[in-house]
Amino acid sequence: MSNDLDLARMRRDRHKKVVDALDAQGLVAAVLLGQPAVAYAVGARAPAADAARAAHQRMIAIVSADGDAPHLYTTFPEGVPPELPADHVHGALSVEWSEGAEALRDALPDGPIALDEYTMPIHAALDGREIADATALLSTCKIVKTADELECIRRAQSLNEEAMLAVEPLVAPAVRGTELSGAFLRRIFELGATANTVDPIWQVMPARVADGPYSATGDVVFPTPTTDRQLAAGDVIWVDTGIEYEGYASDFGCTFVAGGPEARHRDQAVRWREIVDRCFDVLKPGATAGDLVRAASRDERRRPWLPHLYLAHGIGTNSAEMPLVGTDLGDDFDDTLVLAPGMVLVFEPVVWDDGEAGFRAEEIVAVTDDGYERLSARDGGPRG
Amino acid sequence: MAEGLARALAEMARQDVDVLVLGREGNARFVSEATRLWLSGTRPFAPGCVVVRKTGAVHLMTVTDFGVPAEISPACLYPMSWNPANIMGTVAAIPGLSDAERIGVDGLTPLFEQLFTATFPKARLVDGEAVMRAARRVKSAGEIERIRAAISVAENALGAAVHALRPGVREVELKGVFEQRMCRRGTTTPAFEGAFCVVDGDRPIRRVVSERQIADGDLVAMSAGVLLDGWEGSLARTRSCGAPTAEHRDRASRWRDEWALLVDRCRAGALVGDLRATTGASVHGVGLGYEGIADGDALEPGLVIQLELEVKGVLGADTMHIGDDGAEALTAFPYAAAGE
Repeated sequence: MSNDLDLARMRRDRHKKVVDALDAQGLVAAVLLGQPAVAYAVGARAPAADAARAAHQRMIAIVSADGDAPHLYTTFPEGVPPELPADHVHGALSVEWSEGAEALRDALPDGPIALDEYTMPIHAALDGREIADATALLSTCKIVKTADELECIRRAQSLNEEAMLAVEPLVAPAVRGTELSGAFLRRIFELGATANTVDPIWQVMPARVADGPYSATGDVVFPTPTTDRQLAAGDVIWVDTGIEYEGYASDFGCTFVAGGPEARHRDQAVRWREIVDRCFDVLKPGATAGDLVRAASRDERRRPWLPHLYLAHGIGTNSAEMPLVGTDLGDDFDDTLVLAPGMVLVFEPVVWDDGEAGFRAEEIVAVTDDGYERLSARDGGPRG
Repeated sequence: MAEGLARALAEMARQDVDVLVLGREGNARFVSEATRLWLSGTRPFAPGCVVVRKTGAVHLMTVTDFGVPAEISPACLYPMSWNPANIMGTVAAIPGLSDAERIGVDGLTPLFEQLFTATFPKARLVDGEAVMRAARRVKSAGEIERIRAAISVAENALGAAVHALRPGVREVELKGVFEQRMCRRGTTTPAFEGAFCVVDGDRPIRRVVSERQIADGDLVAMSAGVLLDGWEGSLARTRSCGAPTAEHRDRASRWRDEWALLVDRCRAGALVGDLRATTGASVHGVGLGYEGIADGDALEPGLVIQLELEVKGVLGADTMHIGDDGAEALTAFPYAAAGE
């Protein structure tokens, strides 16, 4: 497995995929407002920010089907890929207002376009135009990764795992979740993460679902935001973190037990391993998401993952993207989702023994020509 | 009833909106005061929160009541879903939706536009972001206190970064120091990932940190902020690494002169567009995170804005509370370059 990474080649390959997809659908251009979509199609970068700031300072891309370089509107010139021609780089458009939305409209070519999301002024400015869903279009491009993309995910994950090594020694009774977050965030930036993507989660799990908090599904509640509550001996802590490297997300989940795991915690981890291994046994090109769902569920009393989430999800410039496995998109969706080389899956089943809490971890693999390869290196514990 | 919800309902009445379907977290937080998991970056529109004018109820997409105020009943919570059709089915079943004539949304996607049209064929989709912007615009005394509390954390964390500024430290490390201190002070969510960037002469200041090692004699622009219970505290300052040089002092002095002129113009009645026309100046609203304010808007008492000025390699920003007579800076971090 090569650790070669060529960012310019990665951007070129992705842009070509988007251009080909536009051409195949008879569209003249894609207008992209979602930042993960702009990151994918153009390779541009903006500092990570809260959703409101990110929306107001958003980068916007117009990718045209003729294969010409994309046009990028941005506040952050230092985040523009070097090969993008200067006359394709523009100052930001304030599309929260009608003036900016109309300027965007006026920059678009005639003909059918795809767009991923509207601000309301854009919705008004584009009234009457034929508009396809760019999210669906991009999803077809993003679902299979190039070798460079896989390397970015591998590096993001490796960095995430290494940062967790700085946190592990701190997990002990009396420590606060906020302190764990502080140690983690400091370390990821020192190690070269380009961003943090999710408020790091250190959720203390109840012994049983009925112990609360309230569950809208009746099943295990996860995730909840981090607080300054102090850990107590024996607390079972489900960890979930994600950072970004060159636009690509990591996803590291594990289980800690404050004061150290006992036999029952290790037993749960063994059962978790068995679920993932059953999935791995059937994981190869041509298998469906449905095959994975059935393999994971075999001999289990309940579906071993959280009903509002998934057995597995893809990862890329979004922290969760296609392929989604075992969601409420339903069995037919799972049975028609056929796995192919280059697809990435983050497996995150859950083992739960009501009365004795449970075990959750995550493991990332890429589908290869004849099976799969792991992109994550560390196991999920139990640690502590 | 929560203050934000009351203001949103009043604005819905004024703009004749029956239902708000909100995807933006700041909007959802304003009406619900709920803390949900923080994620960085833009999110495509999805019905994460629904406000019904007729019932006054807030409905939230969340799997749990953790972080949700007790006034919102569990019956009003609905779990997240990957299936947009399922989400729309849940939304359609909310009391008061079926006969809504004007539904305000704060964004859309092509898919959700189709689903709205199919689910509510008689309703008209209107600009819900405009409703929320109006409701959130003027801050109450309680909201000012929450912004002050966030600023207190941000200033403390910026102090830690300034303390860590010494030859050999990398820009990314200062970002790490800021965020770790922010967490120690009780909040794990930044308003944005800060800029701690070496100034390159008169060139525009970078806002994306790099691996660059900071050297003695460098001028470093720092812009950072936190969210405390969703409320933003943020500011920017420029500091010298080591003793300020004569050139640093000249630059700082020039910035202060221009800053004083800008602050003097920052008062009720001033047009935002006029302030923005000042070279190097930027203006935005501050509240539950970054808030939009248009060029054509006039400042008025009760607004809280971030006023930022970049002049020849010096960056500074303060959070200003517009009063009846001028503006009060809510931020109080010293401007002086280190050692000056």
